[in-house]
Amino acid sequence: MASIGQIVEQTPSSEVLSRAQARAALVPDCMVEAKRIANTVISGWHGRRKRGMGENFWQFRPYAEGESLSRIDWRRSARDDHTYVRDREWEAAHTVWLWADLSPSMMYKSTFAHVSKESRALVLMLALAEILARSGERIGCPGVMEPVSARNAAERLATAIIHAPITSGLPETAMIRGQSDIVLIGDFLDDADRVMERIAPLGRRGLRGHVVEVADPAEETFPYVGRTEFTDPETGEKLVSGRAETIREDYQRAYLARRETLGNELRRLGWSFVFHRTDHLASEALAAVHGHLSGLPAQRPGGRA
Amino acid sequence: MSALAFANPAILFGLIALPIIWWLLRLTPPRPKTEVFPPLRILATVLKREETPSQSPWWLTLLRMLLAAAVIFAIADPVINPRTSSLNSDGPLVLMVDNGWSTAVDWERRVQTADLLIDDAESADLPVAIAFTAEQSHDALPGSAIAAREKLAAAQPRPLVPDRARAAAALAQALTGTRPGTLAILSDGVVAARDDDALSALAALSPADIRLIEGDGASAVAITDAVNNAGTMSVTASRLATGAPRRLEVNALDAQGRSLASGTLDFAAGSGTATAQIDAPFELRNDFARLAVEGVSTAGAAHLLDDGFKRRRVALIAGESGSDFQPLLQPLYYISRALSPYADITQPNTADLSVSIPQVLEGNPSAIIMADVGRLPPETAAPLQQWIARGGTLIRFAGPRLAAAPADDPLVPVILRQGERALGGAMSWSEPQPLADFPSFGPFAGMPRATDLTVTRQVLAEPTPDLAERTWASLADGTPLVTQKEVEAGRIVLFHTSAEATWSNLPLSGNFVEMLRRLVQLARAGGAASSGTGGDGAATTLAPYRLLTADGILTTETGTARPIAIAANETPVASFDHPPGFYGTEDGFSAVNLLAPNTVIAPFEPTVAGRPIAREGLAGGEAVSLRPALFAAAFALLILDSLVVLFMNGAFSRRPGGRRTGAGATTAVAALAIALFAFMPGHSQAQENAPGSAAKPGDEEILERLDTTHLAYVITGESDVDRISEQGLEGLSQFLSYRTTLEPGAPVGLDLTKDELGFYPIIYWPVSATAPMPSAAAISRIDAYMRNGGTVLFDTRDQYSALDGGGASANGQRLQAILANIDIPPLEPTPEDHVLTRSFYLLSNFPGRYTGSPLWVEARQEAQASGAKLSSSGDGVTPLLITGNDFAGAWAVDQQGAPVLPTVPPDEMQREYAYRSGVNIMMYMLTGNYKADQVHVPALLERLGQ
Repeated sequence: MASIGQIVEQTPSSEVLSRAQARAALVPDCMVEAKRIANTVISGWHGRRKRGMGENFWQFRPYAEGESLSRIDWRRSARDDHTYVRDREWEAAHTVWLWADLSPSMMYKSTFAHVSKESRALVLMLALAEILARSGERIGCPGVMEPVSARNAAERLATAIIHAPITSGLPETAMIRGQSDIVLIGDFLDDADRVMERIAPLGRRGLRGHVVEVADPAEETFPYVGRTEFTDPETGEKLVSGRAETIREDYQRAYLARRETLGNELRRLGWSFVFHRTDHLASEALAAVHGHLSGLPAQRPGGRA
Repeated sequence: MSALAFANPAILFGLIALPIIWWLLRLTPPRPKTEVFPPLRILATVLKREETPSQSPWWLTLLRMLLAAAVIFAIADPVINPRTSSLNSDGPLVLMVDNGWSTAVDWERRVQTADLLIDDAESADLPVAIAFTAEQSHDALPGSAIAAREKLAAAQPRPLVPDRARAAAALAQALTGTRPGTLAILSDGVVAARDDDALSALAALSPADIRLIEGDGASAVAITDAVNNAGTMSVTASRLATGAPRRLEVNALDAQGRSLASGTLDFAAGSGTATAQIDAPFELRNDFARLAVEGVSTAGAAHLLDDGFKRRRVALIAGESGSDFQPLLQPLYYISRALSPYADITQPNTADLSVSIPQVLEGNPSAIIMADVGRLPPETAAPLQQWIARGGTLIRFAGPRLAAAPADDPLVPVILRQGERALGGAMSWSEPQPLADFPSFGPFAGMPRATDLTVTRQVLAEPTPDLAERTWASLADGTPLVTQKEVEAGRIVLFHTSAEATWSNLPLSGNFVEMLRRLVQLARAGGAASSGTGGDGAATTLAPYRLLTADGILTTETGTARPIAIAANETPVASFDHPPGFYGTEDGFSAVNLLAPNTVIAPFEPTVAGRPIAREGLAGGEAVSLRPALFAAAFALLILDSLVVLFMNGAFSRRPGGRRTGAGATTAVAALAIALFAFMPGHSQAQENAPGSAAKPGDEEILERLDTTHLAYVITGESDVDRISEQGLEGLSQFLSYRTTLEPGAPVGLDLTKDELGFYPIIYWPVSATAPMPSAAAISRIDAYMRNGGTVLFDTRDQYSALDGGGASANGQRLQAILANIDIPPLEPTPEDHVLTRSFYLLSNFPGRYTGSPLWVEARQEAQASGAKLSSSGDGVTPLLITGNDFAGAWAVDQQGAPVLPTVPPDEMQREYAYRSGVNIMMYMLTGNYKADQVHVPALLERLGQ
């Protein structure tokens, strides 16, 4: 009898990208809730395109009484009789970090699913990148790509992933500063405690996070019967069960309990938690994450996306 | 006397178990389906082990049954043993039985052989005369078979060399001309003195038939000599059977018979002698009382050692544990180089003086050399003085620590002035001093004057009337260089300069070696005074103390042994009255060995009337054991079975994996076979391998501590102080994780009396006057920690308590009490350009919860003379920091990360600076003087710019 689950090849980026763009086209432009950005009145680009704190030149304007002399741009002022002040553009770009787990356990695909978990995670990530880039956010991927603000961010992210080294575990997050969003997509099969151990410091640093758990239906329903030897794709560890069907209920209980714990812990941190099965449409998860990113309350909290 | 007999027939009952094994072997589970399953960890929590049985093919089971049966038969030890015999019935049977040292091993078989001969004589109704060659008196009258059997049963192997001539003479006398029918010589195969006389006496009896019955000679192995070399003891042995190469273990045993060390005798094929090297530390070699060849329990294979050959043992103790990568700066380096050819050197493995000195004294060395030890822990002084009074020699070298020690040290020979005297240098008119002639008394008398020596620094003695006669060497200006004092049976010697080359070039010269050698020769060998033989060469009579049995074991039963007269310089000879053993008393004894040194064992090849006598073996000699063949068959079957199982599981097909089915059964059979091997006599090595090398119990914790850096604090015993310490270090750990690449683990509380301190770069010690005073042992451990390069941050937390009343606060007084018995370097408030001010942040002061108290560090040595370098072991890092600012109070955070205590005055910037102080201290701990090098950058750049 053929195996139910198998380890599949890594999905080519280009294919994922095209699928992601198709998904993204179905989702309306995502406007990240900019609750940490003071001025939200001006629509479109987070109230940027105005003078303020920043690094890029914006305009020269005449010096007004009472301003600090140190702000006078003497080079410009020397060209005529007036004194000028150099204004800079207010740069308050919102950064969204996207990260998908590409470890060997993600390459798993069972006969019940259409695609592997890795493929689905990449689609979700690139689709999010596409949507967010469309609304002018800066997109980054920890350890893979520095944040960029570009219309073709999804393409650039896809290219970066091709060249990125294979990693496992949660990413290095030292470069992430506060006031940004992070979307973590993975299977999170570790103990909830261990996952939280990595995530909790991020939360305490003020990041807003969204966690998407991608699961294969076989992992959730445990459709195995008879004498079965199970292999962990990451560690190669083996377990033999004499009659797999006898432990199905126990397993499901443990599996769901882990998800429950993880979800509760994350919500307590103020993060959102979405889970997604690969036999469902990617758009469902995308819509849910989109909702969380836009600050909409989840329609069915904790439920399937 | 069947053709096939089993040595252990009871084992054959094991065959009953075969049907059960059959049933078990038929039950082996089928191959499982293999499934990749990522959430294996979750599955593992709910999965219980269970196996579904199925059946394996009958022929495989049969194979395994054969295997099990072969193993069982092998253990039952079947032996094929035919034997035939006949006697000449012309006259009485005459037996001459050797019962010398080499017969002890197969004595039973010899008795059995003789018994069979007597049986034959009884059935032929012949009288029997029997004589034993190693006995003192012989009762060789021919008698009935029953009487002969009684004599045979009463005879024992003796730890002596057989005297065949006497036995032959006794036989000749007893037979009084009767012509013996069969003369049977049960020989041990070793030639003895006066064998020719014996043979001619026997030939004169003109027996009708002469039979020479011999063993295989495998047990005729004797240790003939043992020599104690510098590093090893070499043991020479001789053997009789020179045919095949043979490898034997020689064990060295102490007086109680415990094995201490062993060496290997490798007899080459055709060679009768071999030498083994027993490689053991010198303390162990001094405990050797007996050497014994393993597996050959005879008196000849044992060699007794008395204490005439012990080497002197010297223990070295340094005041500071230097770094291994700078050996030339370590004082002990020169001493051990100088002494290692002449004496055995021990060094304690810890720098903690309160541990190392008792440890050293336990070994009862001849001399202890202390290089620059200033203050001794008070509890060690008394045992040290006792040891000196009992005859120990303490040799001390000066150094910065000794110079700074208080003047009332009882363990220096003269009263010293505090501080050292520098000769020569930029600010001094005086010149480095050469040595004066050695005085005509003392151990150095007669040594040539050292011309190339100069001493630049020394400690000075207070002039006393007897100083001159206590001085063994002095400088040209008359100041003493080596002084001594006799304390009862012992002696204290002090070199007034250091043992490494910073104070003088004495350690670099040959005179140093010669001086140390003479001093150590002066020390007594070992603790016990050797009474024994006087030096005048007169013979002393010594009573037997411990005697060697025929089995080569020491016993207290002295039996008929008489006191032996041993002259000096003469090797005593063992005889019937003086069997081999120790003679003397417990305090001093001499060894009497069976064989004289360099005896060579030669085979006994008797000829009668010019023709050699036909030889035959002992009863059971031709026994052929089937055991090896059966074991070989079982092993072959096991390999076959393993191959079959691998083949069945597809190991040879392209797809790997899934070979669990029969491997379990094979492993079980293999384990069974190994276990059975282990239970068999003569396979003890299998047992030795059985207990695996398990990791020690505390290892995991240690590894966990070593994985990440941990900040540590001392548990004072006051819960509020300890809580603030922990929270404080937690706060600092978080701050460090945020700001620096250092991510420390959870803070660790240390119990000074038992926790290992060496894992932590710094230990925070909040001094509290109300907490219990740490024990002397705990303080000594802290001292050792600081000597080994660790740093202790003492926090008296009393910056504002001085406002209450003048003088030192209670916490400050407690700190003084703690540090009273520790060698601490001079301290200073952190100077402006100290590395601490720039190791991470640029800081000008180090506030904690309070501000204003200076942070005291070790005064830097650069400003002073380079010779007085105190803390080289710490790479220039101060061994202790003292503050009163209550760092932990400022660092402490609660679960939510909010500060626990307000700063005084309430200023959050001060807390920030407190954290920065903590970061700087940690960086300083971890990077050492690395940042100090930055101080020199402008100077270097300037020089490069020329």
